[in-house]
Amino acid sequence: MAYLSMGESHRRITDYLNRFADAINYQDGDSLARLFSVSSDSPSLLSLADALNVFQDANRLIKQSEKFSQFGEVVAPFFRSLQCYRLGNLVDAYGAFEKASNAFIQEFRNWESGWALEALYVIAYEIRVLAERADRELASNGKSPEKLKGAGSFLMKVFGVLAGSCDLQGKGPKRVGALYVTCQLFKIYFKLGTVNLCRSVIRSIETARIFDFEEFPIRDKVTYMYYTGRLEVLNENFPAADQKLSYALTHCCLSKEANIRMILKYLIPVKLSIGILPKKQLLENYDLVEYNNIVEALKRGDLRLLRSALQENEDQFLRSGVYLVLEKLELQVYQRLLKKIYIIQKQKDPSKAHQVKLEVIVKALKWLEIEMDLDEVECIVAILIYKNLMKGYFAHKSKVVVLSKQDPFPKLNGKPVAS
Amino acid sequence: MSPNNAADPMLKPTMLPKSLRGYVERAFGRYKDDDAKRAACEAYMKDIITEARADGTLYTRDWDSEPLFTVPDSLSISKANIQTPTHASIPNYNKSPVRRSKSRWEPLAEEKMLEKPVSASNEIGKYGSWDRKTFSGYSATKDNSLSSFRFSGPQQRTPSKSAQRPMKRQRIVNGTGLTNNDDDASSDSDKEQSLTAYYSGAMALANNPEEKKRRESRSKRFDRGQGHRPDINYFKPKNAGPANLYTRRASALMLSKSFDDSANQAVEDIDWDALTVKGTCQEIEKRFLRLTSAPDPSTVRPEDVLEKALLMVQNSQKNYLYKCDQLKSIRQDITVQRIRNQLTVKVYETHARLAMEVGDLAEYNQCQSQLQILYSEGIEGCLMEFAAYNLLCVILHSNNKKDLLTSMSRLTPEAKEDDAVKHALAVRAAVTSGNYVTFFRLYKSAPNLNTCLMDLYVEKMRYKAAVCMSKSYRPTVPISYIAQILGFSNAADENGETELSGLDECLEWLKAHGASLITDNTGEMQLDAKASSSTLYMPEPEDAVAHGDSSLAVNDFLARTT
Repeated sequence: MAYLSMGESHRRITDYLNRFADAINYQDGDSLARLFSVSSDSPSLLSLADALNVFQDANRLIKQSEKFSQFGEVVAPFFRSLQCYRLGNLVDAYGAFEKASNAFIQEFRNWESGWALEALYVIAYEIRVLAERADRELASNGKSPEKLKGAGSFLMKVFGVLAGSCDLQGKGPKRVGALYVTCQLFKIYFKLGTVNLCRSVIRSIETARIFDFEEFPIRDKVTYMYYTGRLEVLNENFPAADQKLSYALTHCCLSKEANIRMILKYLIPVKLSIGILPKKQLLENYDLVEYNNIVEALKRGDLRLLRSALQENEDQFLRSGVYLVLEKLELQVYQRLLKKIYIIQKQKDPSKAHQVKLEVIVKALKWLEIEMDLDEVECIVAILIYKNLMKGYFAHKSKVVVLSKQDPFPKLNGKPVAS
Repeated sequence: MSPNNAADPMLKPTMLPKSLRGYVERAFGRYKDDDAKRAACEAYMKDIITEARADGTLYTRDWDSEPLFTVPDSLSISKANIQTPTHASIPNYNKSPVRRSKSRWEPLAEEKMLEKPVSASNEIGKYGSWDRKTFSGYSATKDNSLSSFRFSGPQQRTPSKSAQRPMKRQRIVNGTGLTNNDDDASSDSDKEQSLTAYYSGAMALANNPEEKKRRESRSKRFDRGQGHRPDINYFKPKNAGPANLYTRRASALMLSKSFDDSANQAVEDIDWDALTVKGTCQEIEKRFLRLTSAPDPSTVRPEDVLEKALLMVQNSQKNYLYKCDQLKSIRQDITVQRIRNQLTVKVYETHARLAMEVGDLAEYNQCQSQLQILYSEGIEGCLMEFAAYNLLCVILHSNNKKDLLTSMSRLTPEAKEDDAVKHALAVRAAVTSGNYVTFFRLYKSAPNLNTCLMDLYVEKMRYKAAVCMSKSYRPTVPISYIAQILGFSNAADENGETELSGLDECLEWLKAHGASLITDNTGEMQLDAKASSSTLYMPEPEDAVAHGDSSLAVNDFLARTT
């Protein structure tokens, strides 16, 4: 770092203070937003941070003029945060930033229109990102990481402010910001693994009368549907998951390939569960090749391939949370296998095709290198019938599956397997 | 049970029925000049009122003729109750414990004021009446040695109290008969009361010469040497087989009786930083008395004594209540002295296993969370065994997919190779896919205590299987086949005689669940699949009543003539 004089430091700080005050006085939301984005490592903020570390007594400058001191509650802790950030002390950086944000919210409440929403968004984002980094620092020092949790509480408060911001007509301009904050909250809860906390904020968004979903910015709607779709996947509520993730997909800007990939990562297992297979080209375009073998296994009725595909990518599927969904595809694979046996039998002897002996199935599985005895296969057959993947019945004495003459293997057609 | 309301609003005149107000006035009127007694009187009144509210007699009791209690003269008894028992080799159980007000964490000063409100004989009488009722509902448990003890105290029952405490404070939640809520801690107060019964009876026995001799020979067992391998007898559940679920249920019900929130706190949650001591007490056997302040080193046992105490518990033939109490005492001594080593791990593992065997999930969960912390600090123990239990708990006890995914993703490659963990994962797969054949095969081959946890799901799995088979099989399924694949094995009782054949047990179970049965022309019993598909049902737990309080059951009401 080149030598920074006191004079230059003084200039940088007052320069920032002026821009800050002007942004507020002229209600320039975009400028104000830029002044808060600590983690962006923008040159102007970094150089300000250096200046602060040299000058050391910024508070005096703030108090000097009424123009600055009226925002002292916000700026003073913000400066501290910036200084800590520059010095690599993330835990203190977060703490100070939260204090600054708190003071900002108090001001924000009193401002009439939603001009400062952009700044609020930046603050919400920074709160989350700084908390994440602070937690990493805590963890690496052997302490327990609790900043992100605190960030969640803070953002809930912010949500409350936005939700409660109604004017006399009952609708306030600030409330459209609520969805952005919600999405930040989702990201926090997903990271922490406390996804059940999403419920309350979802309830507010979806049932409170002050919110009209269509009024929110499209970017936020896509993100919201993505996360709520993921929650439906976790709860194995496939029709709802399909609806939400598809919404996100169709409304997502095509150029945002990374986002599309993320949506597809969850949408594909959902589609598979309702019997819709993706084209191989799609998987390749978006680098989702881990699903290749699974799709193949479903097409061929190859249980061995499904199991090996699950095992090969086990860690990845567990982390993203789709493992259990993919595992459930086993029944569909069994169904396909049995259908193939039925088709082969039909070709040989159409009159007897609708009766499938249990031992034939056992043999077929053996060819796939899967050892299952009669009782186990009988159980699978019973489950397939029970879940309407096969129409017919099982005759225990003769150990024969008697299939219905009409449509013995009903297709899922967009509906999930009965549970 | 209604929430505790030990605050003053309870004594506000407007809240109480008129006759009760009169009672209160009469009670206080006796101690016009004695402030200490008035305070004690107030405390005792609060207790009475709380209890009356809890069992719904607040407005129905005839307060006008309710006898007044006496506040004893001496204050000295309360002090003795706060301290732990002294050095006598047999703890002095002659005095009955203070009947504490519900909030256990009141500051000491107030506790001193709470003199024993009733004379000693009345206290025992109260316990006598309560425990009698316990016994009647308890006959299912083979383990119940409480019933063999009589009370040494007078059997006087306070007439008004005999209507109290209906037996059915047992809470049965869902078909498994075990509370699902992780927050329900084993209640100290109830365990303590039954333990008092246990101990005061035990005291009579303990002193005779034969018992002393037996004790000596028992202690000689310790000399088998250290290094008790985990695969010794106390590992296997007492009766193998899913039938045992019912006996375990009974004990679990007894344990999960009340939800006294203040007793929820684990031994470990207290701030021990300020209280670390080095113990000097040499007693191997020591009751659990929750500390509310810095412990006296002479009452805390050092590590070597605790090792012996643990061995004693492991080899003891006494019932779970006793062992649980002893283990909690050991845990407290360990925590107070900040001992965190293999002994600590062994203690928690022992307690966890015992808790699991009887179905005391609350205690088990406490131990399991402590173990996770200890293991993560690198202390050696049966990590794999407990990793398997953890998995099984997540799968079978909660339906939280996120937790399951997290637990599975956290398994190390070594863990995935371990037999117990592999078994747990296989159970997981079977449960997820509804594969009953695999589930019951895994039950038979379960390592360690995995069966105990699987027991929680047996009923559900069997029912799902029955429903599935009813839909898919036509026309019938032999009962013998069902019995075989649903794990109805031939269960032997303790004497080695076959009590119920698997077939009979299966028949009973099917009937209890509404299955339609027929006999075919060879005389074999069959399940009529088609008919059963509309008659099968999951029965309600035995004494559940629509509005929850079976002492107010409709039939009972209609049977009354007054």
